Order: sequence, then structure tokens, then C-alpha cells
Amino acid sequence: MSDFLVDLGANRRARNVIKKLGLPVPLPEKLRRGEGPWPARPLEDREVAVGGAPAGELHTVIAHTLAATGASTLLVGLEEAASGFAEAAEAFARPYRGVDRVPDDTQVHALLFDASGIASVDDLKTLYGFFHRNIGRLARSGRVVVLSRVPAEQRTPAAACAQRAIEGFVRSLAKELGARGSTANLLRVADGGDSRIEAPLRWFLGPWSAFVTAQALTVSRSVQWAVEASFERPLDQKNVLVTGAARGIGAATARRIADEGARVFVLDRPEDADAAATLARTIGGIPVAVDITTPEAATTLISLAEEHGGFDAVVHNAGVTRDKTLKRMDEERWDLTLDVNLGAVLRLIAALGEGHMNENARIVLLSSVAGIAGNFGQTNYAASKAGLLGLLEVAAPRLAASGVALNAVAPGFIETRMTAAIPAATREGARRLSALSQGGQPVDVAEAITFLCTPGAAAFSGQLMRVCGGALIGA
Amino acid sequence: MPVAFPRPRARRAVIVAGARTPFQRAFTRFLKLDAVDLGAAAVRGLLDQTGLPGSEVDSIVWGGVILPSGAPNVGRELGLDIGLPRTLEAMTVSRACASGLQAVTLAAAAIERGEADVVIAGGGDSTSNAEVKMGQRFVHAMAPMALGKKMGAKDWLGVAAQLAPIKEILPQKPEIAERSTGQLMGEAAEEMAERNGITREAQDELARDSHHKAAAAREAGVFDDEIVPVTVGDEVIRHDGMIRPDTSLEKLAKLRPVFKKGGTLSAGNSSALTDGAGAVLLMSDRKARALGFTPLACFRSWAYAGVDPADQLLIAPAIAMPRALDRAGMELSDIDLVDMHEAFAAQVLSVTKALDSDAWARERLGREKSVGAVDFSRFNIAGGSLALGHPFAATGARMVTTMARALHREDKQTALLGICAAGGLGAAAVLERV
Repeated sequence: MSDFLVDLGANRRARNVIKKLGLPVPLPEKLRRGEGPWPARPLEDREVAVGGAPAGELHTVIAHTLAATGASTLLVGLEEAASGFAEAAEAFARPYRGVDRVPDDTQVHALLFDASGIASVDDLKTLYGFFHRNIGRLARSGRVVVLSRVPAEQRTPAAACAQRAIEGFVRSLAKELGARGSTANLLRVADGGDSRIEAPLRWFLGPWSAFVTAQALTVSRSVQWAVEASFERPLDQKNVLVTGAARGIGAATARRIADEGARVFVLDRPEDADAAATLARTIGGIPVAVDITTPEAATTLISLAEEHGGFDAVVHNAGVTRDKTLKRMDEERWDLTLDVNLGAVLRLIAALGEGHMNENARIVLLSSVAGIAGNFGQTNYAASKAGLLGLLEVAAPRLAASGVALNAVAPGFIETRMTAAIPAATREGARRLSALSQGGQPVDVAEAITFLCTPGAAAFSGQLMRVCGGALIGA
Repeated sequence: MPVAFPRPRARRAVIVAGARTPFQRAFTRFLKLDAVDLGAAAVRGLLDQTGLPGSEVDSIVWGGVILPSGAPNVGRELGLDIGLPRTLEAMTVSRACASGLQAVTLAAAAIERGEADVVIAGGGDSTSNAEVKMGQRFVHAMAPMALGKKMGAKDWLGVAAQLAPIKEILPQKPEIAERSTGQLMGEAAEEMAERNGITREAQDELARDSHHKAAAAREAGVFDDEIVPVTVGDEVIRHDGMIRPDTSLEKLAKLRPVFKKGGTLSAGNSSALTDGAGAVLLMSDRKARALGFTPLACFRSWAYAGVDPADQLLIAPAIAMPRALDRAGMELSDIDLVDMHEAFAAQVLSVTKALDSDAWARERLGREKSVGAVDFSRFNIAGGSLALGHPFAATGARMVTTMARALHREDKQTALLGICAAGGLGAAAVLERV
């Protein structure tokens, strides 16, 4: 689906005319997205400026991650961290530059701030100072990532309030950066989670997180995990089941997951068997025609698991909408929506249990911003999508103990066949009500899901990632 | 991954002799000799020098990089050219600049597996005779005509239309560019110099030393038994053509950067296109003694490695060399002589820097400590490719011969070889005096 204003904004002449005339037309930035499989060095030769509060504890992993991704690092201040950056520079032959601030002639792809050392209200000044001085040097479609600690784990009220303050700062910055297509996100690193930052840091600094902004996720060591993260073909030889995969977000997800080397089980209901089969053929996957609300669903999946050696990841994407205001909503609409979106998911997770999920498996739930914020005419849909979050909270810690990472994504306004059917005026409003002033593409959600299926997603457990472009509702 | 070495071997392959043509700058005195001629000269010289009858040879394993498209199995052709028995089997292998070492280690493996007792291995290239290619579109457009299709006016117009713009029908300039990245090798080396902080001065110093050591070795007669004279027309060529005994840092500093404006790589600290070939005679230990040869050296180990060519194209020896050491059960400090192919001074210094880095060792080798600093007083003691030249596949054979002989002459025990190659490949071997 094309967005007229994004296309218009991409035309420099049109952009200039509209600006000169002072027309009240928002011109969203055309987002720079990833293409194809993860490359070995996603930030090759891109400038990344790194700052931090004194006493930060994450320098080493930041230095390593940036050098390994091929970034050209500008270390802003932070002389205490220089030795760690020098060592990473040597290992990867990626020299860093120490500077006082990002030079005026340099545009950086990303600003990265280690806020783990912030323990008081005064310390917050370093956060303000770094971004105040350097934010003007951030390129379009740029990235801001802040690494903090978990407020609840802090020992003093002062430290807890300072750490919590960072979240408000990042979410607000995200809203300011949206017009230029840039994003800002926060990774709260729990005690013991330091060594797992690399994978999420790569993803949030890379092009795949284009439509993810104003998010705060916790990186922890909850998921039992002993293997190394891999960033090239991370899903090589893995069995991944995607439900509702015949079209839309499901199909985009199946394609991206196949790109990363997985064997994808393309599941959709029998009515969509043709579309599922066609997709499965193009991505070398296996079509599965079954209605997930039927009793056969579980038995079919179990026999597939037994035949192919278990699932390494399951993406519970299948979902329906049956919108009506509550007073007019018949029982059938309620029952179907709740059963497909919630009941069936619960049953399939139970049926596959631990016996048919492999070690270090990943499960991804598809919630929705409607489930968080509520939506007119969607009491049934919002109930089902909110229900998934209850499942997330309770099941994630239990699964983590056996090495399974259970996480969820919540798409906001995504340009799909479903949203194309919304009346034009409403659709136009929905698109612009986000920091990035545009709808997302199915691939944006697919990228988030793909990441949550990789080994490196062991950094997350029970996390909800909104893929909403910084939607103004339901924050 | 590391194979447990040294393991007991029922048969051991030993190097008994080596010979090479003089190395000459491309498009000079060897212009008229192609890869087969050069290889034939080296192998003929080796047999003359050793007095080995051709009937004793079981196999020829040859290496080549720019293979003549009409006769890519150079090893076979040269055998036929110099009158070796027609029943003597032969093959030709290609692993870019590591092709020569690849041929020699394949020969050693074949002997140790019991497939052969006597093998001639080596390699050579005539960069002067690189074939100039026509564009693929030109080839495809002209194919119907070449295959004898009857052409009407309309067909001719069709061919003409396919050949616009005009550059499609011009021959393509041969370049040493990576297929996967399009980057010229010199550009990659330039990038490595920059990223590893290798200065122009350090590169020029390495180049100067290479020339001075090569000149001293030539003076001392080190190459006299290695080089076989080659006759071209009325001229007998006995010596390498590119060594500059009188070069100095001042002279080298005057040369312009060649791969990048403001860069640090010059014609003086980059190896030049060269014509030449080298051959090594390998035998099983027992056969060598039965035929009355004195074994010079054997391989304690070898290793090949690959890195992402889009990252540091020529750094792979910094992985292959430690791997070979591991397989030999040795440390760098156990090694008496180090011989590295000098594609570019910047590449050699990037590799030695990585070998001496704890950070590299931890990230790339899974070792706690660095491999160690290379002692430059024991490094390329008879000069390297910067001074001698680099006829691609000949270099590995040259290095094996020079080191095998040096171990005897200098009364040393072990030598470590390292070669970088296009495609992000690296090769290494540990030679041990027998």
C-alpha cells in the first residue's frame, strides 16, 4: 500500500514548495529499511557517537558490538572507556575517534548513550548534555539508543527515580525525532544481563527497527541459554512455525524468517491453502493447511514436530477481526475472535508443550496496540489481544527456566489489506497519529518477529515490543 | 577443528629439491613465454638439476591463477611439452595466490596417503599473457554469427542494437578485482593500512628490507642452485629482474600513492605483476633414500583459512598461521624462520600486528594470549615478493624451496610460511628440517 504523503515527501522539489508555502501538510520521512538477510556488518562504515554517564558499566560490550558491526565509532568524552574501545578497535581493525562532541561537519547514523552509571537527579544532566549538544548531528532515519538499568533493581530511591526518569526522556525524544524518520529506544539492562546486550543493540541500531520507536525493553538473563548468538543466518537449519502465514504480516514474516536460513512451516486455514502452498514453494518451506481452532490442529502440529525434529520457534500470528460496537455485536463475532486470537493460541502452546519445542526455542505472540489502548468497535479483538499479554506475563518466566524465550509484538497501524479497507478519512488520521507520521509496512513487524525468533533474543523474556512508529495512543 | 598433530605417520613426504625460473617484471623479458612455457622451464630445470629420470615421477600437481583458457590443465601440458612420459598423470589447481602452496601440500598429502612416491608440484603464472576478455554482451550477441547461423539484415541490426553503447565491444581491461565486492586488491590493502594504522614509513621500511635482503641473498649465491637459467631468443636469463639493491627510504618515499589519493600504498611497497614459475620435488621418505636423495624438509602441518572478503581481504594468514602452529603443536616462539608472501607491505604488517594482538587472539582465534610478535631478524631472510616479484602461483613453490634449503644452510629446525590470497583466503604451513 502506498502512502501519498511519504511519496510526496521523498520528492525534494515538492517538499521545498510545501515548506516555502507553509502549507500545513505533514511530510513523513521515507524510512530506510533493511533488505534481505542480516549482513555480517550491518553498520559498516556508519558513524556512531557513543556517550555515557561516568561510572557506566557497559563500555566493553558497547565497544565490542560497534566494532563487530563495522561501525566507525566516535567516543564523545568518556575517556575512562578508551581502553575498552582501543581493544575492540584492534580486534576488528575499526579504529575509534575520541572527540569532545560530534564535529559540525559530521552526521552520525546513531547516538548511543550508556546511562547505567546514572544514580541521582544530578547525574541526569549528563544525559541531557550529551543529547542537547549532539542531537543536531543525527542523520535522517537515524537511531538513538539509551542503555539504562532497571529502576526497580536500584538500591536507593534517588537511583530508582533517576533511572525511571530516563524512560520519560527517551519516549519524548522519540516524538521529537519522528519527523526526520529517526527513532529512539531504551534498553533497560537488568542485573546480569550485560553480556546479552549485543543482539538487541545490533537490532535497534540497524535498519530493521525502522518502525519501532519510543519503546523501553528489559534485557535480562532470565532465559537459560548457553549457546553463542549468531548474526549471520541466525536461523540456519531451524524449524519455525508461522500461523496465519498465507498473507499480510504472516507472509512477510515467513519470508524474512526463511531469509535467515529457517525451514518455515507456512500454516493457514484450508481456505487459504493455495496461497500458503505458493508461498511455501517460493521460500522452500512446508505448507500446513489446518484451522487452528479445530481439534486436528494440535495433532497435525505434533506429528509435524515428530517428523521434522521439533520446532525451534513458533510465531502465533493467525488472527481475525470481527468489528462491531458492543451493542450490535452478535455472539458469533465474539466467540470466533476470542477463539482464534486467544483460545487457540493457549491450546497450541499447551499441546506443543516442552516435548515438541527444541532447546532454546522461541515463541512470539502477536498482540496489538488495540489490545493495549482499546479501540472503538473492537471490544472482542482488544479483549483477545490484551488476553495474550496476560499469558505473556505468567508464562514467560516459567518458559525462561527451560530456555524458551516468550515475547510479544504489538503492531500499530500497518499498511495491509485489512487497514486498506478502513474508510479513507479514518485511515489517514490513524496513519498520522504516530511519531513517524506514517503507517508501518508488514515487513516492519516481520523484522521484529524475526529478531525475536533468533538465538540472540535470549536477551528478552516476557517483553512486549510495539511496532507502531511511536503511536500516540496507548503508550 | 584443530586436527591433532603431529600424528604418527606411516609414510612421510619429504622435500628433496626445488627450482624456479628467474622472476621477471610482466611485459618484459618473458613476454613471449606463456604459463606452460614458464612451468616447463622450471620443471625441466628441476629434473636436470636432480638428474631424476622422468619415468620415476608418479604425478604432477601444478598451480595456476591466470589459466590459459585453451589449456587450463597447465600441469599436463608442460609435462607433454618437455617430453615426460605421456602416461604421467597431471592436474592443475587454483587457490589464487596460495595455488603454489596448495599444489605442494596436495602432493605431500598424496604421498602420505600412499597414492604416489614421487611428485613434482609447483606453479607459475604469466601475467603478461593474461587473456583480454570481450564483454559478455558482445560474446552473446555475436554467438549466432560465430556458430554459423545465416544472418539477414534484420539480424545484423539486432546484433548492432545489442552492442550499444560502444564500450560493449571494447576489450575489457584486466584487473585484480574481487568478484564479490568489485574492490581492487590494492584498494583493499589500502583500506587495511588505514584501519590497522600502518604508516607509509613502516611499509617503505619493509619494502627496503625486502630488497636489501634479496640482494644480499643473491650476492651470497643463495639463489644460484634454485634458479634455472631460461633462454629467450639469444638471451640467457639467470637472475631475478626486479631486485633493487640500492633502494632506500628516500627513494621509496618519492613514489606516488597508486590506489588512493593521499593513500600510503605505492609501487614500491606493493608487489608487482610478474612472470615466472617454480617447482618442488617431493618424495616419500623411503623412496628418497632409495634413490639416493637427501631429504631437506617435511611438512609438520599446514592450514588454510577464509575471512569475509568485504572486511579485511588479506588478513586470513593471521588465522591460518596460528591454525598451522596449533596443528603442529607449536608456538610462534618455537619457530626459527618466518617466511611470508609480501603482496603488499601493508598487508604483511596488518597480519603481523594481528598476530601480536591479544584482542585479535581472543576475538578471532579463541586464544587467551596473542600468537606473538614476529621477530623481523628471522623474517623473509632471503627477501620476499616485494623484491623478488610475485608470479602468483609460483610464490608458494618459491617459499617452500627457499625455506627448505635455508633450514639446512642456516642449521635451523623449523620455518613458518604464510600466504594471503584473493577471495579473503589465507594459507600457512610449518616446515621442519629432516
